[in-house]
Amino acid sequence: MFQFDRRLILNFDWILLLTVLAVIGMGLVNLYSATTNGYTSSHIFIKQIYFYIIGLGLVITIISVDYRVLISWNYVFYGVIVLLLIMAKFFGNSAGGAQRWINLGLFKLQPSEPAKLAMVICLASYYYRKDTGKGFSLRELIAPGLLVGIPFVLILKQPDLGTALMIAMIAVSMTLFVKLRWSTLIIIITACIIIAPLGWKFALKPYQQQRIETFLHPEGDPLTTGYHIMQSKIAVGSGQAFGKGFLKGSQAHLDFLPEHHTDFAFSVWAEEFGFAGSVFFLACYTFMLLLGLNIALSARDKFGVLLAFGIVALIFWQAFINLAMILGLLPVVGMPLPLFSYGGSSLLTNLAGIGILLNIRMRRFMVKTT
Amino acid sequence: MDESELQALKRRTNIVIFIILALFGILVVRLWFLQILRGSQYLKMSENNRIRLQWLPAPRGNILDRNGRPLIVNRPYFNVTWNKEDAPDPELIIRKMAAILKVNVSEILKRIREAADYPRHLPILLKEDIDWPTLVYIENHQYELPGIHIETLPSRKYNFGNLASHLVGYLGRINEKELKKFGDSYLPSDQIGKMGIERIYEKLLRGEKGRRYVEVDVHGFEQREIMEQAPLPGKDLKLTIDIDLQQTAERALRGKAGAVVMMEVNSGKLLVLASSPPLQLQEFIGGISSKNWKAMLNDPLKPFINKTIQGQYPPGSTYKIVTALTGLSEGAITPDTIFNCAGSMLLYGRRYHCWKRSGHGAVNLKKALRESCDIYFYHVGLKVGVNNLAKYAISLGLGHKTGINMPNEKPGLVPTKSWKRRRYKQEWQEGETMSVALGQGFNLVTPLQICEMTAALANGGTRYRPQFVESIIDADGKIVKPFRPIIDGHAMGSKHSLALIRAGLVAAVNEKHGTGRIARMKSIIVGGKTGTAQVVRLAQYRHLPAKDIPYKYRDHAWFTCFAPAGKPQIAITVLVEHGRHGGSEAAPIAKALLEQYFNGKAAKPPTDK
Repeated sequence: MFQFDRRLILNFDWILLLTVLAVIGMGLVNLYSATTNGYTSSHIFIKQIYFYIIGLGLVITIISVDYRVLISWNYVFYGVIVLLLIMAKFFGNSAGGAQRWINLGLFKLQPSEPAKLAMVICLASYYYRKDTGKGFSLRELIAPGLLVGIPFVLILKQPDLGTALMIAMIAVSMTLFVKLRWSTLIIIITACIIIAPLGWKFALKPYQQQRIETFLHPEGDPLTTGYHIMQSKIAVGSGQAFGKGFLKGSQAHLDFLPEHHTDFAFSVWAEEFGFAGSVFFLACYTFMLLLGLNIALSARDKFGVLLAFGIVALIFWQAFINLAMILGLLPVVGMPLPLFSYGGSSLLTNLAGIGILLNIRMRRFMVKTT
Repeated sequence: MDESELQALKRRTNIVIFIILALFGILVVRLWFLQILRGSQYLKMSENNRIRLQWLPAPRGNILDRNGRPLIVNRPYFNVTWNKEDAPDPELIIRKMAAILKVNVSEILKRIREAADYPRHLPILLKEDIDWPTLVYIENHQYELPGIHIETLPSRKYNFGNLASHLVGYLGRINEKELKKFGDSYLPSDQIGKMGIERIYEKLLRGEKGRRYVEVDVHGFEQREIMEQAPLPGKDLKLTIDIDLQQTAERALRGKAGAVVMMEVNSGKLLVLASSPPLQLQEFIGGISSKNWKAMLNDPLKPFINKTIQGQYPPGSTYKIVTALTGLSEGAITPDTIFNCAGSMLLYGRRYHCWKRSGHGAVNLKKALRESCDIYFYHVGLKVGVNNLAKYAISLGLGHKTGINMPNEKPGLVPTKSWKRRRYKQEWQEGETMSVALGQGFNLVTPLQICEMTAALANGGTRYRPQFVESIIDADGKIVKPFRPIIDGHAMGSKHSLALIRAGLVAAVNEKHGTGRIARMKSIIVGGKTGTAQVVRLAQYRHLPAKDIPYKYRDHAWFTCFAPAGKPQIAITVLVEHGRHGGSEAAPIAKALLEQYFNGKAAKPPTDK
């Protein structure tokens, strides 16, 4: 399957790789600060380094195989993911009331993370096969709707509202991207407006409702849910222009900041490196995403475009929701910042995504345009 | 592949680029707002922002006597605690505090090490119960002692010293096992009931802690209160015990080992539950020293044993009540059945003596009870057999726990033939029945059991469960749980039989030659039974004058009584360990209580019933 071709090297996107490494590097610096207490380096930090090494191996594996095999393998991936989600539901380890993990011995896999990538691959190959010239009608959306619906419900039931929403957002983004009919769009939007209040009442758990209510009125509850938002805003704000300095963020180091190595990792960064550091980070991140879209633009086949777009959408939405939450613009949902927050499943998934992007870019010359 | 479709997708990609830039632009604007515009404000907040949780101790419930007189109340008790997180220079604080508290640095370090396993934000207890000058000094130097706090804890004040010490019990620092068991509602520095009522009613007495969230600055000083949840005070416990009577009983027992139980015969309410020697309650405040602990453990009078419910003794002649009831009920005797007492009798080649070597002559039931004739009860015992005796004994409350709400109560022992087979793998001997009939065999009873039996005899056969809580009262003075009598069973045998036995006991106190004459009163007719429980049956000490017998070989003295004879209200049981003769040692104590109860109370009508 793999024959060496010099063009593979020539077309390798070194800039994307370097940008990704820069983001990862900032993530590691930040993780060190978030998990150290000044005396001992934590095992979390060491563990994350192991994940990076595994991730690097994963990227190398992915780029050595033509991404187009995914077109025919997509349902196999899909099946495995659904199976894993069901396993997590019934045999998984629970933490904080949610059944999210499967213990693999070496580490605990959170199948909802690879599920996001599997969704992207699955939809990309589905839409690749369909003729979308005139845009989709409502009836044509039933099949992809079901495809998305199964993992969506399974993840929602874990319960993991953040990841379930993410699956939905990826699906919506990709569907909009391949074009909907205007009539279809209007019908869907109307339906959403009608269903939303019912969903609030029946689908959301009380704690989820409370989070959203707290987001709307944070001062009403300074001790529990609103506490997270308040503390995060204080952490970010107190960083001012140039930050308090590496390892000097009092919010994180005095444990006022919750989850400061996972979901709230960026608060630590913003507190210690200030506005300057935050904007630098955002610039790198945006650059990385734009490079991803550039790969979509330069791809020569529809599958490559859809796949590249889906991966960028995946990383972008997670990042945006995470950052908006940290800055107090959105309610608190469990959502890591891709390639920055601690967490093995999330890291490996996103690195696999980067691997696929690099792969598409490397092989653009192989696709003959018709 | 449709080229135009591909181009369309790429056109849309440009829109996507715009969306990404726009949304990230919003984030940058937000960052600029938070960090540049509001930055100094948030910086101030982060410096002030240290929320601490403070626990507000709930005042522990008081323990009152039946008349509402406070037996045990609270007194504030000041502890020094340290919040390590708030101290910039721990070593300096440790040195300063050692000097202020007048303890060794090593002692403070030891406390800190012990607290190492507790969550970090919990304050470490440096010293309990500091005195007033130390308290004032620390309060005045607050600003030089960051992280040091004074914690005010309610502690116990014993208004009447060690009165009813075994009943009320004491508090102590919660230990790790208890902490694990009771989980979240206790802190490692908390006090918990370790014994007696303090332990049994811990849940009611302790109430519920309040919490207070405060913001402290970088130095640990309080800035602002965020939320306060007031503590819920513990409930008061009103006992059925009468402080005055309890004091009389304990004074009478001073220097001796023994027990006094006084009970209302128609409800089971205990007026007195005294065990001597008492526990030194004051010693337990702030943790008893191992030296004092050992001293109490090694005391030959065994203060740690609550003799009212844990002391198991041969019942001696008080058991003749059981033998008489069995004889009458089983038809072995009538009140007029006469046995001749010649001072001794021969059975299976062995001679059995009456305590009165010269003999009582012709003896009927009344005389037998009055003068406690052993020969008479030997005959009755032989006629009914040991198993019948056991049946009636059990129905009178012996041989099993009374069910009083206290842990570690002892059941005593009522022997039967099958019991002996089980226990000794031997057949029952007839001679043993004779010993049992006189309360000198295998039988063991507690003073509380004898009192319950006496009360049942007095009230016509109803066995009320002994209880010591009159009511549970909440902080508003409302009665949450009133006293309710509990009937545990009924004595076997007719009311008439019980009346005949009561008459015999009245004769024992009031008639010539009665064994309990010391308890006789002018105004009230008392019925009572003495008992002398042999500790050793060896004859080697028999001939010696009482004072020459070594203490531990002396007989135990019993006296149990009820009054007034016509319509009994109370029963009293006294046991003096190694007190020799019930009539001379135990009966005067009962009499003192009777005097006080009836003479002090004669004017007042009974409050209930």
